[in-house]
Amino acid sequence: MLLESVEYTRPATVEEALAALASNEGAAPLAGGQSLINVLKNRVASVAVLVDITRLSELRNVDARSDGSLEIGACVTYDELDRSADVRRGHAILADVAGRIEDQQIRNRGTIGGNCCLSDPTNNLPPLLIALGATMNIQGGAGAREVPAEDFFHGYFSTAVEQGELLRSITLPALEPDAAAGYNSLTIAGDSKAIVRASAYVRVNGTIEEARVVLSVVGPRPIRHAGMEERLRGQPATDETVARASEAVGEGDDLSPPTDAHASADYRRRMARVVARRAVNEAMAKGGSGGE
Amino acid sequence: MSDGDTAHAVKVTINGETHERTVLARTLLVHFIRDVLVLKGTHIGCDTGNCGACTVIYNGRTIKSCMMLAAQADGAEIQTVEGLDENGELGPIQRAFHEHHGLQCGYCTPGLLMSATALLKENPSPSEAEIRRGIRGNVCRCTGYVNVVKSIEAAAEEVSK
Repeated sequence: MLLESVEYTRPATVEEALAALASNEGAAPLAGGQSLINVLKNRVASVAVLVDITRLSELRNVDARSDGSLEIGACVTYDELDRSADVRRGHAILADVAGRIEDQQIRNRGTIGGNCCLSDPTNNLPPLLIALGATMNIQGGAGAREVPAEDFFHGYFSTAVEQGELLRSITLPALEPDAAAGYNSLTIAGDSKAIVRASAYVRVNGTIEEARVVLSVVGPRPIRHAGMEERLRGQPATDETVARASEAVGEGDDLSPPTDAHASADYRRRMARVVARRAVNEAMAKGGSGGE
Repeated sequence: MSDGDTAHAVKVTINGETHERTVLARTLLVHFIRDVLVLKGTHIGCDTGNCGACTVIYNGRTIKSCMMLAAQADGAEIQTVEGLDENGELGPIQRAFHEHHGLQCGYCTPGLLMSATALLKENPSPSEAEIRRGIRGNVCRCTGYVNVVKSIEAAAEEVSK
C-alpha cells in the first residue's frame, strides 16, 4: 500500500529530534514502526514529518545500576529485552513478556517505548510496567520530567507525552527480595491480541504486605484495582485470600470494558477476575525470588 | 497533511551487492526491494505486518519489509530469498522444502525460507516447538505447517552434517 506523502528526517541526537518534533505540529516520532506504519497505511492519522529515533544511541541502552534498578532506553526492542542478561537478572518477567509479543519479526523491530506511547489498551507492556512501579522519563525542549507509569497512560492512543516531547527511557526499580510480579493474559490465540490482561506485584512476609493489581483491556487505559488490592493487603498469602480478593473485580467497580468482535464487555468483566487471580497467584508463587 | 515527500539517498547491500538509489520518504522497504531493485522474490501478502510474506533478513535479524520505510534502511545489509541459492542450485533449506513438500502454492515460501534461515543460523538444531515459534510470524494457508516443520527439521539435519 502506498503511504500518503510524508517528510522523513533522521536526527543524530536527542536534541535534534526534539527540535524536529517541536518544529511542526504534524511531526511524530518513528520508532519500530510496527503500529505506526499501519496507522499511516490506513490513513487513521496523518503525519507530516516522521522523526526517525531508532538510531539514537541514547535511546538504545539497557543500563543496570548498582542498586538493582534498570534504565531502559525507549528504542530497545522486545527481542533485545528478551535477550538482555541485565533484564533477565532482576526483572525476568519483563524479558519473558517481551519475548512472547506476537512473532520474531515484530520483536526484532517493535520497541518498549513504542508499545507504551501507542497506548493501545491491548498492548502487552503497560500493565506490567505499572505493576513493577516503573517511572517514565519524558524529555522535551524545556527539560526532562518523570511520570509514574500509573499516570502515563491517559486513554486510547493518548499518554502523558505531549507534542514536541519524547519518551526517552523507562526506569524500573529493583524488585525487593521478598517481592515478585505476575502476568496473565487471556488471548485470542497463542501470543496474539489480548481479550483481557492482568499484572500483579506482591511483597510477602508471612502476610501480603503490599499488592498492586493492574488490569487492562477493561477500559481506555490500564488501571490499578484498588478494591482487590485492599482485600489482599495484610492477609495471609494463600490461594483462598486471592480467590476472595478477586471477587472485588467486576462487582461494583468502574471497569468499562469494550465489546468487540472478540468478546463482549460482560465476558471481559468476568474474565478480568480470573486473570487477576492468576496474576497474583503467579506473583505469590514466585515470592521471595525477585524477578525470577 | 504534508506538502510533499522528502527524497533520501539510500545505500543498501542486498545479497552481497551494494545498491545506491534515491527514494521518496513514503516508499516502503518492500516496494524498494521489489519495484526499484526488481527483486521479485520478496512477496507482499497482507501488507499489514501480519502474514510475513515480505520477511527479509535485515542486519542479521528477520523483519517484515512492508513495515518499514526504505529511507530507514540506509546502510543496512539485507538478505532476500534470491540470496539463498548456492552457485545457481537450491540451497539446503530450499532443497529441504522441495523434498519434503514444504509448500503448495508457494506464496508464503520466500518469507518462510528467510525465517527458517535466521532460525537455523541462531539455533542449528531446533526442537519442533522452537521451529513453530520461529515461524510464528509467517502465515501459510496451504500446508497446515506440518510439512513446513518437517522441511526445517530436515534442513537442520542437512546443515549440521
